[in-house]
Amino acid sequence: MGAGWRELLRPGDWAVVALGAALCIYAGMGLWTAGAPDGVIVRAGGKVFAEADLAAARRIEVPGPLGLTLIEIEPGRARVASDPGPRQYCVRQGWLDRAGAVAICAPNEVSLVLTGRGNDYDSLGY
Amino acid sequence: MRTLTHAGGAGFKPALSWMAALIVLTMFLSACNRAQVFHREAYVFGTRVDVAVYGDEPERADVAMAAVLREFDRMHRAYHAWEPSELTALNAALAQGETLEVSAELAAMLRDAQQMAAQGDGLFDPALGAVIELWGFHTDTFEPKRPDAHQLAALIEQAPRISQLLIEGQRVSSTNPAVRLDLGGYAKGYALDRAANILRDQGIHHALINIGGNVLALGDKGGRPWRIGIQHPRQPVPLATMPLYDGEAIGTSGDYQRYFELDGVRYAHIIDPRSGEPAHGTQALTVLVTSRPRVGTLSDAASKPAYLAGEEWRDQTRHFAIDHALRVAGDGRVEVTRALRARLEFPQPVAFKVVD
Repeated sequence: MGAGWRELLRPGDWAVVALGAALCIYAGMGLWTAGAPDGVIVRAGGKVFAEADLAAARRIEVPGPLGLTLIEIEPGRARVASDPGPRQYCVRQGWLDRAGAVAICAPNEVSLVLTGRGNDYDSLGY
Repeated sequence: MRTLTHAGGAGFKPALSWMAALIVLTMFLSACNRAQVFHREAYVFGTRVDVAVYGDEPERADVAMAAVLREFDRMHRAYHAWEPSELTALNAALAQGETLEVSAELAAMLRDAQQMAAQGDGLFDPALGAVIELWGFHTDTFEPKRPDAHQLAALIEQAPRISQLLIEGQRVSSTNPAVRLDLGGYAKGYALDRAANILRDQGIHHALINIGGNVLALGDKGGRPWRIGIQHPRQPVPLATMPLYDGEAIGTSGDYQRYFELDGVRYAHIIDPRSGEPAHGTQALTVLVTSRPRVGTLSDAASKPAYLAGEEWRDQTRHFAIDHALRVAGDGRVEVTRALRARLEFPQPVAFKVVD
């Protein structure tokens, strides 16, 4: 045994191994661009109401028990533009632009979540 | 290429067999790894509830999550602080100086809440329902205004405290008619413990329960721990992330979940019983409670006195034998205990001070 098998590898083989390793590192760096969101999930009353990517500007009207919550999407970010709830916390949060960010309009039972690879947690404590 | 044709046979055999083994292993792992996270979201206790179950039986997860949400609905109806409930019936009786026989569950919760209030030096007191109402937090509508100064002063003078409750078996009375119970700051944590019991009874051992930002973890996610983000009190991003292990719970008291602003001052819904005023020294106080009995209840109740204590927050967490805590002070300074620091990851650089 020992290093016997290594002697069978030729310089070209090592080049292939090096190329593979480089590819892995490159792919890893590209895919782990932390925090950049790639989509939104909008839920109404706990059920998924809409899923969308963040490529193009879009507005989504979400019905809830108090009325319509308006979700606004722009490339790379999203926000609750208006909500019929009394305290407006979800509107005041402003634009969300990181994967895992959440806006909750509890009175109208609407939630907005940004998805993406930087989202390395399962639940948010607040 | 010449090299390959020359020595390829002998040289690549080991590499090929390694690769083949790897492919077979990958296929094997992906075949048995059908498990995934199932989510249920609902609105209870005036907030969002999210139950996540990790497993490979969607039906079983569904049945268990539905049972949890039914239990939350029951508790919501039973212990609502201002819509007609068993709790408002008790409050009405106490205001009349009467004694009321309550459910065994409510009697036990009140005894427990009394003990927790004592443990926190009375800084957080669930008997301040009338004060919270004066501040306008007991309605579904909303008007940012200060309470009437005379009414507030009179109420603070009467000094309602949960310690003034007399609980004999299931019979509850009060020596102070100003006592009005509001179990916000207790009931959500208690509901976490109930949910954990229900899930375990249903054979679910890997789950994450989030009630309005208080989170309890059961088991893990296929060998990897559940991970929690801690919300930044002033930005729509997590301040930090961390693992939450089996049987642990995390809770935050903050000035950013229920509050109003008036003349540039922020008034949050956690009231100091001594002044009748919302506390101002802290933006957010997070406690992580390691696995122990009533872990959910503690994650809710133990963050309140520490939040109200301002700069003395660390003493309050010690009263509850809590070593993992993080505070964002009123001016934005971040302080974190050594034990919690060891767990935290910061998505963006944060300046913080480590305390013992």
